[in-house]
Amino acid sequence: MREKIFYYIIRRVIIYLITLFLSFTIVFFFLRMIPGDPVTRFVRMIEQRYSFSPMSMEAINVWKASFGLEGDIFTQYRRYLERVFLNFDLGPSFVAFPTPVQDIITFRLPWTIFLLGLATVISWVIGTIAGAFAGWKRGTKIDSILFSIALATSQIPYYIAAVLLVLLLSYVFRVFPPRFALSLQANIFSLEFMVNLFYNSFLPVLSLVLISTFGWLLSARFITISIVGEDYLLFAQAKGLKKIRLLNRYVLRNALLPQATGLAMSLGFIVNGSYLVEWIFQYPGVGGLLQFAINILDYNTIQGIVLMSIFTVLTANLIMDLIYPLIDPRIRIGE
Amino acid sequence: MTLVFDLKKKMLSSLNFFKRSIIFNIGFSIITLFIILSLAEPIINGYILKGQGVLKSGTFDKYLPPSLEHPLGTDHYGRDVLALLLASLKNSLLIGAISGGIATLIGVIIAMAAGYLGGKIDETLNGVTNTVLVIPSLPILIAVAAYTRLNLILMCIVLAIFSWPASARVVRAQILSLKERPYIDLAKVTGLNSFEIMFKEILPNIAPFIGLGLTNAIIGAIFAETGIRLLGLGPGEIPSLGLMINWALAFGALSLRHYHILLSPAITLILLFTSLSLINIGLEEIFNPRLKKITGI
Repeated sequence: MREKIFYYIIRRVIIYLITLFLSFTIVFFFLRMIPGDPVTRFVRMIEQRYSFSPMSMEAINVWKASFGLEGDIFTQYRRYLERVFLNFDLGPSFVAFPTPVQDIITFRLPWTIFLLGLATVISWVIGTIAGAFAGWKRGTKIDSILFSIALATSQIPYYIAAVLLVLLLSYVFRVFPPRFALSLQANIFSLEFMVNLFYNSFLPVLSLVLISTFGWLLSARFITISIVGEDYLLFAQAKGLKKIRLLNRYVLRNALLPQATGLAMSLGFIVNGSYLVEWIFQYPGVGGLLQFAINILDYNTIQGIVLMSIFTVLTANLIMDLIYPLIDPRIRIGE
Repeated sequence: MTLVFDLKKKMLSSLNFFKRSIIFNIGFSIITLFIILSLAEPIINGYILKGQGVLKSGTFDKYLPPSLEHPLGTDHYGRDVLALLLASLKNSLLIGAISGGIATLIGVIIAMAAGYLGGKIDETLNGVTNTVLVIPSLPILIAVAAYTRLNLILMCIVLAIFSWPASARVVRAQILSLKERPYIDLAKVTGLNSFEIMFKEILPNIAPFIGLGLTNAIIGAIFAETGIRLLGLGPGEIPSLGLMINWALAFGALSLRHYHILLSPAITLILLFTSLSLINIGLEEIFNPRLKKITGI
C-alpha cells in the first residue's frame, strides 16, 4: 500500500512537470509566430515619428541580446528555459526595461489577487449554499426559480456583465465609478483608503461574482441531488435527525469536497475571463499590465503572465490530486 | 413502402426528441430565430440601407433616436444600428460555427484515437489535451489578433487551436464508457477490426455527445472572439457583436445617454450565450436520462 501511494505521487508529479513544460513550450512558439519583435518595432516607431535613427545597429543588437532576442528561435528558447527553470528569472521586461518581469508582476499581483480572491470567495460561498439549498428542496418552486436563473446566466461572459453594470450603475444611476480611479500613493491603512477601495472595486468584483455564483449554484445543486439519493442519508433521516442538522452535517459537508476540486479546476478559467474585466475598469492588476505588454509586443512580460497563470492552475490541481485520497476514503489509489 | 415507413418513423422520433426537453427547446428556438435573422440579413439590410455598405459612415445623420425607419437608431458615424447588429450577429454565428466545427473535428478525431486505442496512445493524447486546456488562451489570442492581419477563416482557425480540448474531453469520456459495453465485445468476436468498430459501432452512439462538444466549442469560440473584438482588435472590416460594444464604449455612447447602442449588442450576446447554454444542458438531459431526474423541470 505504501509503495502504491509513493508511485502514485511520483507519477502525478512527473505528469505535472511534463504538462508545465509542454504548455509553456506551446505558448513560447505561438507568441514567436507573431511577426516582428519589440525592439525593432520600437526603433522603427521612433524612426517614423522623428525621421531619424536613434541608435547604431550595434546598440540595437546589444539591446536585443539583453532582451533575449539573440540567435535563432531555438537558441532563444533554450536560453529562456535555462533562465526560467534554473534561475527562476523571467527575463527583463520591455514595458519597464530592464526591470525583471517577476518584479513588475509581483508589484501588480496583489491587486489581481484582491479582485479575484474576493470575487471567488463570495461567489463560491453563496453559490454553494444556495445550490445545496436548491438541491435539498428540489422540485419546489424556489428550486425551479433558482435553477432556471442559473441555467440562463451561467455561461454569460464576465465582461458582458461588467459592461452592463457600468451602464446601469455608472451612467443610468451614477452610483459607482466606471473606471477604477484610486490613488495608489495613499496610506493603505487609513479609513479613507478603505472606503475608496470599496467604492472603486465594487463594480469589478460584482461583475465577476454575478456570473460565477450561478455556476457554483449549478454544480452544488447537482452534487446535492446525487447525495440526497444515498443510503447513509436515508439512514440519518430514519434516525430522526433534525432537518437543519441533516442539511449541514450530511449534505453540505459532503458537497464541499467536489466543490473545492471544482474551485481548483476553475482557477484558470477565472483568470482568463478576469483579464477583460480588469481592462474594462482599467484596474491596476495583472490584466492591465498585460494590456501594456501586448501594446508593445513585450514577449517576456506576456509569457511571464501566462506562465504564472499556467503554474497556478497546474499546481492547484496537483495539490488537489495529492490530498484528495487523504480526505475522501472512497478513493483508493491504484484502482 | 419501407422507405416511406422509415421516413415516418424517423420524423416521429425526431418529434419525440423535441418533446423530451423544454430547456433544449427554448435554447433551440432562440438560436433558430438568430439563424433565420442572419440568413435574412442581406434582404433586411438591403431594405434599410438601400444599397449602401453597412460599415459606410455618414449614410444617415448621426445619433438618430429609434424610429420606424431606424428601429434601433443610428450611431456615432451615422450608421444604422439594426443593420450593424444583423451583420454582426451573422458574423458572430459564422465564426462560432466554423471555428466550433473545426475544433470539434479535431477534438473528435483525437478523442476517438485516444479513447479507443487506449494504452500509451490514450495517455499521450490525453496529456496533450490537458496541456492545451490549461493554457489561458485569451491573452495569447489577443496578442496574435493585435499584430496579425486576420481574415474570417484565419480568425476561426486561430480560435479553434485553443478550443478543441473542451470537445475532446467530453467525447473521450463517452468512448471510454461505451468501450466496456457488451455489444462492442460482440463486434470484436464477429471479427470487425478496431477501425470498423470505431466507425460502425462507436461513432453513431457518440453522436449526441459530439453535439455537446460542438456547443461547448462554439461557446468557447464566441467567448474568445467577442473578448478580442471588445478590445477593438481583429479585422475591422468584419463587424461583430464584440466590436459593436467596443464602438459604443469608445465613442462615448454612454456619456451621451444613447444606451440602446450598447444594449442592442449586449442583449443579443446574452441571448446567444444563454441559448447555447440551454441547448447544452438540454442535450445532456435528453441523452443522459440519469440527469433528467436531477434537472427535473
